[in-house]
Amino acid sequence: MVTIDDYQGQVTAWCPGCGDFGILQALKKALVDLKLEPHQVLIVSGIGQASKLPHYMKCNTFNGLHGRILPVATGAKIANQELVVIGVGGDGDNYGEGGNHFLHTIRRNIDITLLVHNNRVYGLTKGQASPTSDPGFISKVQPQGVISSSFNALSLAISLHASFVSRSWSGDIDHLSWLIKEAVQHKGFSLIDILQPCITFNKKNTYRWYKERIYKLAEEYDPANRLAAFKKAEEWGDKIPIGIFYREKKPTFADQLFGLKKGPLFRQRLDPSQVMPLLETLS
Amino acid sequence: MNKRILMSGNEALAEGAIRAGCRYYFGYPITPQSEIAAYMARRMREVEGIFLQAESELAAINMVYGAASAGARTMTSSSGPGISLKQEGISYLAGAELPAVVVNVMRGGPGLGNIAPSQSDYFQATRGGGHGDYHLVVLAPSSVQEMADLTYLAFDLADKYRNPMMILADAILGQMMEGVKFKNGVKDIPGKKWAIGGARGRDANIIRSLYLQEGVLEEHNRHLQEKYARMRSQEVRYESFAAKDADLLIIAYGSMARLSMEVVNKLREKGVKAGLLRPISLWPFPYTAIKRLISGVKFIFVVEMSEGQMLEDVKLAVGSQVPVYFYGRLGGGVPTPLEIMEKIESLLKNRI
Ligand SMILES: Cc1ncc(C[n+]2csc(CCOP(=O)(O)OP(=O)(O)O)c2C)c(N)n1
Repeated sequence: MVTIDDYQGQVTAWCPGCGDFGILQALKKALVDLKLEPHQVLIVSGIGQASKLPHYMKCNTFNGLHGRILPVATGAKIANQELVVIGVGGDGDNYGEGGNHFLHTIRRNIDITLLVHNNRVYGLTKGQASPTSDPGFISKVQPQGVISSSFNALSLAISLHASFVSRSWSGDIDHLSWLIKEAVQHKGFSLIDILQPCITFNKKNTYRWYKERIYKLAEEYDPANRLAAFKKAEEWGDKIPIGIFYREKKPTFADQLFGLKKGPLFRQRLDPSQVMPLLETLS
Repeated sequence: MNKRILMSGNEALAEGAIRAGCRYYFGYPITPQSEIAAYMARRMREVEGIFLQAESELAAINMVYGAASAGARTMTSSSGPGISLKQEGISYLAGAELPAVVVNVMRGGPGLGNIAPSQSDYFQATRGGGHGDYHLVVLAPSSVQEMADLTYLAFDLADKYRNPMMILADAILGQMMEGVKFKNGVKDIPGKKWAIGGARGRDANIIRSLYLQEGVLEEHNRHLQEKYARMRSQEVRYESFAAKDADLLIIAYGSMARLSMEVVNKLREKGVKAGLLRPISLWPFPYTAIKRLISGVKFIFVVEMSEGQMLEDVKLAVGSQVPVYFYGRLGGGVPTPLEIMEKIESLLKNRI
């Protein structure tokens, strides 16, 4: 029986009280609940505080380049569909530097789960505004406040027909670990945008701020209804919904590739004799 | 306002750019140069310029490409991983003959490496990190004062040659604080007849690096090479210290040159005739100056925070005339003057 301890990695170097801890705990809990063994799981991250998460896990991990989580995760999943591939990184990693990859991974519908630790600020580089910072957010580099509008990952993902679009927050481990389980079991690209306080650099979106606003989508909410999903995704301010906003069943990238139907690439053996008839037609 | 102001190297560099008339800065956060962005964010408001934090380095360098084509003095800055991402844009700037200043505050590599000081991007900077036959003038400051002065100069050279320029600093120079004096006021920026900006009453200006007709690209490249030849003959910069009667010549640039200055002083105290040559322009490299200096020199000692990148240029200059020794630290390791002294003294012992 796999236990939480099996996933215990190195000692953490996050600020005490960081929202990242809740996400780490929820992820481990979800993997254990799903009875997944560490060797079956690959966590791919970029660069940032959030992207340090793989260091604090014990399973297959890949800590890559800033912004490039999804291309690496895509490559790994295509090469070995048997792996449960989970991408992890911050809002800067995924929506700024890696924004283009976000769009195209959704379009391809790669069967992976993406956890975005959305603290609405660049943590590792010490507090610059991120794509999800609120207009007016003040930092050392944005002294007059952010003047660009904030990136709404949920609305964007829904508009691209992402097959699983959801939100949770680091302050509710039960909800988040439930959601991770749903996302991992879902076949296709799954986004979990995770609201997370940054106690050092984001003095606005605190635990308390979120606690006062967050509510769970009602049981009767239907994630198959795209228009309703847009409406919920646009809801922000005094009330912030969490849960599964949108779900759409559709074939994954691997389902549609002839070469992958025979199983993972790494299991397929080269058989040169198979090309002989073809070569003979050429001679 | 000609007082000496205490500032970090990153801040002095940013102020130097502002004084040179740079009003468009595009960046993306990365350590150890984020102070440049923070300073620019504040100062650009005061001088009614533009500070823009882009979504990535690719966006930032292409914003520079756009601003430069419109005739503005513009700059971007980054470190290791971000500079690598900017290489495509730098190649286009060179191909399209646009002036711009790119700052690399070097950190340890390869890959993500670390955020400690390093000089391991020398090859990338001086050999052209992007595609195509092109060069940037690469200037290597070695004090906070020079962080400001060379940046100022870089803007002038960029306009003079219509070519991107690079400031190659490192985490030591970026973070350390010293007194610095600034030149007064903004100079007149030369008019740019080639810039895009409305073609009423004249033919349209076209900014491009694409030349498809047969032979035209080769001709364009010949023209670029003539320009690089002019840079080679006019823009070599270096400084020497106690080099005239030296038996032992240390060659080092940037923060390693400062450190080596101390080594030279200590060696002189001990009766060793040591001297220093400090290339300021890494491209064009002071080959001729080195050749001239070494006629009386018994051996040369190169110090770098890399496994010997500038060393290759020194060897090209020296040939087999004088033996060249090397000491380098890697991956963010910073040598101490003592370390270098010991290395040199053991060399001296073995030679006697
Ligand atoms: C190519 C490149 N550019 C910039 C950086 C510097 N950098 C490291 S992490 C980061 C962003 C951190 O913010 P986020 O992704 O939101 O994660 P957080 O630290 O907030 O968890 C940046 C800009 C880098 N490592 N590589």
